[in-house]
Amino acid sequence: MVLDIAGARRPCFAVLAGAFLVVISAPSLMAQAAGELTGSVTDPAGTPVAFAFVTATSMETGRALPAVTATDGSYRFSLLDGNYSIKFESRGYRTRQIPAASVTSSSTVVENCELDPLGRTQGNTTAAPAQQTAPGASNKPQEPSLEDLGISPSQSKGNAREQALLDRRSHMLKIHQRLGLITIAPLGATLITSAFAGGRETSRGSRDAHAALGSATVGMYVSTAYFAIRAPKIPGTKTRGPIRLHKTLAWIHGPGMVLTPILGGMALAQKDRGEKVHGIAAAHGPVAIVTAGAFGLAVMSVSFKF
Amino acid sequence: MLRKLLISFWMLWLPVLAWADSQWVLDQSTLTYHVSHPLHQFDGVSHAAKGKGICQNGECDFLIAVPVKSFDSGDSNRDLHMLQVTRGAEFPLVTVRARLPESAVESATINLDLEIQFAGQTFEYKHVPFQQVVLGSETRITGTIPLKLSDFKIDPPSLLTISIKNDVPVRVDLSWKRT
Repeated sequence: MVLDIAGARRPCFAVLAGAFLVVISAPSLMAQAAGELTGSVTDPAGTPVAFAFVTATSMETGRALPAVTATDGSYRFSLLDGNYSIKFESRGYRTRQIPAASVTSSSTVVENCELDPLGRTQGNTTAAPAQQTAPGASNKPQEPSLEDLGISPSQSKGNAREQALLDRRSHMLKIHQRLGLITIAPLGATLITSAFAGGRETSRGSRDAHAALGSATVGMYVSTAYFAIRAPKIPGTKTRGPIRLHKTLAWIHGPGMVLTPILGGMALAQKDRGEKVHGIAAAHGPVAIVTAGAFGLAVMSVSFKF
Repeated sequence: MLRKLLISFWMLWLPVLAWADSQWVLDQSTLTYHVSHPLHQFDGVSHAAKGKGICQNGECDFLIAVPVKSFDSGDSNRDLHMLQVTRGAEFPLVTVRARLPESAVESATINLDLEIQFAGQTFEYKHVPFQQVVLGSETRITGTIPLKLSDFKIDPPSLLTISIKNDVPVRVDLSWKRT
């Protein structure tokens, strides 16, 4: 019985072994029937063109085999006997085709290719300065160009001066933004200390601290405003969106930041004389609150989406 | 007999006519970029794209160009800042090139390899899927380009010292007319 089983398994083992031999010998059998087509792709300066597409198309069967050049510009095909046309393509270069290369068994055919650039830089991420090359420059004569779209060269040409103006504007507004945020700290502290400066039983020290913080706030505010006012204006720009509210609020907190310390100074003088704050000086608190509110709203108007 | 001959003649010419050179013109366009920031989510929209496609020898080449300035996010200050960070004054156009076999022009879904020139850099996006719907004489193509600021060496702008996300997907909605 055991022998029978063994006998039954023997042919099965033989089939598996045979299949294994076929599998391991197949590449070598194929290799024997194949020749090698190799070469390198370079530009006119001799620099290797990496990642160029190379397509070998059998002239007998029409079957196309693709390959991509390595970083040294080299490519390699293992091909069956026959005649092949070879196409070399790379973005930024003119496509070249070698009409026929004959590949025979166990031989190596070398086909090097020199690609002519189209006059623009290419690649995954490559610089394409607008002043040097027209954006949208076409690869082939049938490709549409910017002129086809009705875009004149002057419209596609960059303006370095305008870019410099934009850079300066952004730089100044970034400083404006940072100073504005920093101003919130002394402003908040001034508001907090106002509780100890304006009451009936206040000390000279608490009033001085409040005045000092108020002065610091005004100083910071003036610096903040300077960078917004002095930032270059871009001609032809119409103010739209939340920035309009931000700018409008400046008409409230701007005069407020002038009035508040004046009224505060008057109030401080009255307090120092032992008088109750009266007259126009009594508006110091309400004006300060409106000013601080407008300032806070101005910050929020460009910080959050409403 | 004559009728049969005429029909046969036209039948012979049909494939040739099908492969005849044709052109596409961009009729309407909406390009929308989306920016994400912890405090903000906003879109910038442009309808100013111009485009053309030329089909020849079974291959179609498309070019779309849109001025960077034309994107409107609803806030002039933000638009100027975007224009600055993308170097829009120095490189005023975004151009997109795509090549596809003419046979693919009729497909419902097209995977396009896009070559985009933006902010003085060129970047290729491979196999970007687009949906295509034919509405009478118009062909509408929609899809999203997975644009990243780093692909074009753009430093992400920041608000309150927090940078926006590097991913700025661009939703594309184009209506083409065959001429």
